[in-house]
Amino acid sequence: MKSLLDTVKGPWYIAVYTWREGLRRKTLVGFLILSLLVIFGATFMTSFINQATVGDVTTDMDLKLIKDICVTTISIFGILITIFISASVVPTEIENRVIYTVLSKPVRRFQYLFGKFLGIQLIIIMNLCLMGGLFFIALYIKQQILPTLLLWSVFLTYFEFLIVSALTFAVACASSSSVLPTIAGLFIYITGSLTEYLKDVYNRSGQTGEWLDSLIGYIAYILWNVLPNLQRFSLKTQIINSQPNDPPTDVLIPQLVIYGLIYAVCGYILAYWIFRKREV
Amino acid sequence: MNNSHDPIIKTENLTKVYDTGFRGEQVSALKNLNLEVFPSEIFGYLGPNGSGKTTTIKLLLGLIFPTSGSIQIMGTTDIYSAYIKKNIGYLPEGSYYPDFLKGEEILRFYGQLYGLTGKKLHKRIDEVLELVGMKHARKRMLKGYSKGMRQRIGLAQALISDPQILILDEPTTGLDPIARKEIRDILSRLRDEGKTLLISSHELLEVEMISNRVGILYEGILRVSGTLDELLTSKDRIIEFSNAKNGVVQEIKEKGGEVVDQIKDRVYLKVKSDEELYNAIELGKSVGLQLIKITPRRETLEELFISVIDLAKKERSS
Repeated sequence: MKSLLDTVKGPWYIAVYTWREGLRRKTLVGFLILSLLVIFGATFMTSFINQATVGDVTTDMDLKLIKDICVTTISIFGILITIFISASVVPTEIENRVIYTVLSKPVRRFQYLFGKFLGIQLIIIMNLCLMGGLFFIALYIKQQILPTLLLWSVFLTYFEFLIVSALTFAVACASSSSVLPTIAGLFIYITGSLTEYLKDVYNRSGQTGEWLDSLIGYIAYILWNVLPNLQRFSLKTQIINSQPNDPPTDVLIPQLVIYGLIYAVCGYILAYWIFRKREV
Repeated sequence: MNNSHDPIIKTENLTKVYDTGFRGEQVSALKNLNLEVFPSEIFGYLGPNGSGKTTTIKLLLGLIFPTSGSIQIMGTTDIYSAYIKKNIGYLPEGSYYPDFLKGEEILRFYGQLYGLTGKKLHKRIDEVLELVGMKHARKRMLKGYSKGMRQRIGLAQALISDPQILILDEPTTGLDPIARKEIRDILSRLRDEGKTLLISSHELLEVEMISNRVGILYEGILRVSGTLDELLTSKDRIIEFSNAKNGVVQEIKEKGGEVVDQIKDRVYLKVKSDEELYNAIELGKSVGLQLIKITPRRETLEELFISVIDLAKKERSS
């Protein structure tokens, strides 16, 4: 039990250190402030403008627009922060040689990586809480209904970010600069967001009877099964069109959580496999 | 496990080859290194840039892996074990510590990685801060530290687990003379307390002042290794004459004498053998000089270093 505790303690200290350092990264803080400004502007400022200029015109469309802007902002800035931090933590430590002093201590490489990964997740969760929290307060003030659906959305968005974060982190463990992993992270996110279309490709394949058509369909089917489908985590349409306290529909939350965790574990194992024999 | 006559660090035929580029090109950074560092000594590990010093250190710390050969630390080849890592403190060259942390926070972080917690950690932080003379600045953020203070806090993090072995990469580079002296004093004190220090450095004078033994590495090969007394022996002697008049130095030079200095009416000649000594005394008398004294002159580490590198270059070109 004691040795298990010791094994966990090291990564936790590294995670806290990573989190504290991450909070001081100018790019990250810039993204966060910008996203909070957009959410604040879209909610509080529009209500002010409405009262002043539009008067008693129905606010239903405005509300949908506000929700759309805020959910998209959380999604875009959240993923940028996720990719930026996941891509840069390990390469930066190699570049500034902090990694030498840490790995020369009684810290195994899997502990180091686990600590770094945990620290990244703390940063992502904190950002999501800040962005989601502001949107939550704004929605509650506007509609006077607790927007519980938003909480579910933020919860699922975290697992979407977790997948992108884990896979970007794995690429970062093979890289000595953060440029390549950042590009890879964007690619992973874009690909993961388009995975749903692969199913359409598969469904439409085989209609011409040509072998190439069937092959493309077969490849699309494999990719659809292997690649993460990030669209599954989105509650955007429901948030925009439903009542704020409606329960989430069309999603199986426990399955999505497990789905996200499986990809995260795979990403971490890949990161460790790359990093275990890496010369720093 | 290890008695005082056995090396605390020992490498046998340690070789490191780096793969560079996609065409399978390889660079030998270290070739069959046989290094021995003994307990309670300061070992000066010298060599020009790119000679393989940092590669050796990284291999000892398990940051990179040997192509062939073996490493033994404190009698074991399992250099990746927690026991060995707890007994090695490392100060990298130009190490970076985040500016937003305070001096004692840095030490707390590294102490925690060694499994130190609570009062034990607090006590140890106090001890190392005292040792490196940084107790007064423990609550200050690193952004307010001078270069010398940063180096001392780096040394403190290397010492936090009270290790047997300290590996220091360029510990005095970039520091002013006072800071150098302070660091040098700390290192000597640590040696006197029984710690073993492996110091990689370009600062030959610094190394000469504190090292018991040195090794000179060039192009991945350990060219010489031994105590300073063994390595810095020289048959050079300096003859001091008085009664020097104007033009006498020129006259001596014309007659083949090697004048190394002249202060007022004193002239100093260097000779390398007994025969040269006899000839120089005769030469001095012939130009009206009066013999004052003959003193043996020990070679400096810098002279040894340059001669070793020159010899290696000649061997390579031939």
